Amino acid sequence: MRDVTIGQYYPANSIVHRADPRFKLLIMLLYIVMVFFCDSFFSFGFLTLFVLVTVLISRVPPLKVLKGLRMVIVVVLITTVLMIIFYRGEGEPLAEWKIFRIYLDGIYASIKLAWRLMLLVVMPTLLTLTSTPTELCDGLESLLSPLKKLHFPVHELALIMSIALRLIPTLIEETDKIMNAQKARGAKFESRNPFKKIKAMLPVLIPLFVSSFRRADDLADAMDSRCYRGAKGRTRMKSLKFHAGDVIALLVWCIIFVCVLFLKYNWFGWAFIAVIGL
Amino acid sequence: MIDVRNLSYVYSPKTPFMSQALFGIDLEIRDGDFFGIIGSTGAGKSTLVSHFNALIRVQKKSGTVIVDDIDLAAKKVDLNRLRATVGMVFQYPEHQLFDDTVEKDVRFGPKNLGLSVEEQKERAKNALELVGLNYSEFAERSPFELSGGQKRRVALAGVLAMQPKILVLDEPTAGLDPKGKREIMDLVMRARSMCPTVVMISHNMDEIATYCNRIAVLGKGRVVGVFTPRELFSNRELLENGAVSLPLVTEIAARLHEEGIDIDPALLTEEELVDAILAAAGRRGGDA
Amino acid sequence: MPLLELKNVDYSYPSGDDDYIQALYSVSLAVERGEFVALVGCNGSGKSTLARLANGLITPDRGFVTVDGMSTDKKENLYDIRKKIGVVFQNPDNQMVTTVVEDDVAFGPENLGLPPAEIRERVDWALDCVGMREYAKSGPFRLSGGQKQRVAIAGVLAIKPELMILDEATGMLDPEGRAEVMKVVTDLNRREHMAVVMITHFMEEAATADRIIILDRGHVVADGGRELFERPEVFERAGLMLPLPVRLAGALKKNGFDLGCPLTVEQFVAETKRALTERKTDGGGGSR
Repeated sequence: MRDVTIGQYYPANSIVHRADPRFKLLIMLLYIVMVFFCDSFFSFGFLTLFVLVTVLISRVPPLKVLKGLRMVIVVVLITTVLMIIFYRGEGEPLAEWKIFRIYLDGIYASIKLAWRLMLLVVMPTLLTLTSTPTELCDGLESLLSPLKKLHFPVHELALIMSIALRLIPTLIEETDKIMNAQKARGAKFESRNPFKKIKAMLPVLIPLFVSSFRRADDLADAMDSRCYRGAKGRTRMKSLKFHAGDVIALLVWCIIFVCVLFLKYNWFGWAFIAVIGL
Repeated sequence: MIDVRNLSYVYSPKTPFMSQALFGIDLEIRDGDFFGIIGSTGAGKSTLVSHFNALIRVQKKSGTVIVDDIDLAAKKVDLNRLRATVGMVFQYPEHQLFDDTVEKDVRFGPKNLGLSVEEQKERAKNALELVGLNYSEFAERSPFELSGGQKRRVALAGVLAMQPKILVLDEPTAGLDPKGKREIMDLVMRARSMCPTVVMISHNMDEIATYCNRIAVLGKGRVVGVFTPRELFSNRELLENGAVSLPLVTEIAARLHEEGIDIDPALLTEEELVDAILAAAGRRGGDA
Repeated sequence: MPLLELKNVDYSYPSGDDDYIQALYSVSLAVERGEFVALVGCNGSGKSTLARLANGLITPDRGFVTVDGMSTDKKENLYDIRKKIGVVFQNPDNQMVTTVVEDDVAFGPENLGLPPAEIRERVDWALDCVGMREYAKSGPFRLSGGQKQRVAIAGVLAIKPELMILDEATGMLDPEGRAEVMKVVTDLNRREHMAVVMITHFMEEAATADRIIILDRGHVVADGGRELFERPEVFERAGLMLPLPVRLAGALKKNGFDLGCPLTVEQFVAETKRALTERKTDGGGGSR
């Protein structure tokens, strides 16, 4: 539990760290859409290459990135296995045992799924490792700022996110502590019956709520005492500035996107035929 | 009795993220000991005591922990029996209170042990009286309405209601005012009529000096040594490398000693220090 | 005009359904620029309520609180009041708004609407003041309690208030963390001439202040300089323990060994040495 990487910034001096968070968020959006357009092993490989390059130039040790993915890897492995077992393909199964049949298609499909899931989480993880939550919140606030005209509480939303990111690890740690304290008083949480399980969790959940409210109160006092009065008249220490590099990075990723589209719709093939035809 | 032999512990073993918290710990905590455990943050104090209650299980081929006659390195440990033997009080124990009345909260432990309702009530009553809370006055009150000191006593009663033979305390007086600190320590001493063996993690050297008869110093997951208070606070090596700081009384005694005044530098209590200064004054007058 | 003034302040807070508990009874006091005041009292004496009244987090039921002439009753004053009075609270984990030290320190000046360059300057200055510059980019999870409180102090400092109130800011720290925070605070008072109100129940900390205010169950029972320590009965009545050197000197005096009133370990050692040497020469002179 303690190794959840949410909001765990890895300080280093790299282009990825220095990049404008707004551009990073835009690239992320583009990237996620892109992953859904990938459907062949070749396109996955193609995208993976760029992901690896990004990881390398970010100067975050690959181990650190893996650490953030640990939970996801487990989930992905389980899904893959389940998918291989339960996939119903056409034609002859490769192997058969009781109700389980394994198809070659199934293996391909599940590897693709696993690959896609991994791609989907690697980059967001890298994003949180290379940008502080404050930067991300600022970036989001700035990207969403046109919505302020519609009276959408952009600043408040960004602040809520920032505080949530700040408190989640604290609350996880606290849950751990309370669970241990109750276990020491003989509590058991391993009930199979979901109703009983919830009841068994009450001795953990209630103290957790109580302490969360106390923390919220304390934090509100601390913020008030430091002259907080909403977005009104507030300035920022780190104002966001984008550089040529950010624009170039975005362009590069746009080009990658176009390539993925080419791969997906086999535009290369059509283009090739067109050239031959001419 | 807690017997720890060659205990090691690794977090996240067999992954690239592993980190070793304990390295071959050997300790023997005897019946009737008030055993102190000190050491800086990250020395492995919490990891070590979490073993005593099987909140952390002994890893394979990583030594043994025996509590009374329960072997915690065994494959199956009777957790109910263990938790009735070792009572664990964590830092800020009042944060674990959850039930709507004090009595129900204190009964939580006995209930988990599978005792009858009468027995649970009996034990809750005894435990509350032991921590100095009048049963009829407090039983039906909500624990959340109590003062900070009272909450902590209720939490302590919740552990004592399991009638453990060994009490493990992690910084029991953290965050209390001096009066509250003394009250909590007084009632720990009173609870020793029931659980004579106490293990206490503390940063407060005054408390370590006042209450403990033996003290283990932990450093980076290893036992640096086990000492009596007098040995500990006169150990130059430990004092100089910052592993141990002096209780205020001992610090004054040590400074007076340094100034060339004939006083034992390892005095532990106020009374001893006052007597020593008076003796120094008297003798010097007499000598002349 | 005093920087902070309370006149005949009553305050009570709700408890249970329609009960009220009165926390302060007709409290009057004033704090001037540059002062170093210790506000001491047991748990439940109303000392934390006082901190929250001072910067308008709560307003009095009766009487008034003014900061530089501005009353905390008027909502439109609060922003200017909080620019002048900063508060550091007890729990080191519940004061950080963001996950990076320097961003958190910037939170205050950002609320003041300062230009980015000036915010940067203030953040660096504040972090230097508390000796946390090298941690500017780290998150709160790798910091010790004492370090977190120093960050909280920097967060308040960056607003450049004229008075800093520390509401039991050392209460949850280990002795090391407490010493770190105390050093930072005394330096701020001496070098930057910032007025400080230390709310505490550690008498050893209170003894470093120039002025001591004692609260007992909602009443100000004493307000004066360090000579207050020569009247131990005032502290005892309020349920407070005297600093160890004062206690020792008291016990010695009862036995006819008068040291005056040493407040710190250094003073105690020096006084004892002087008294012992004097006695030696006196005694020596008599016998010859």
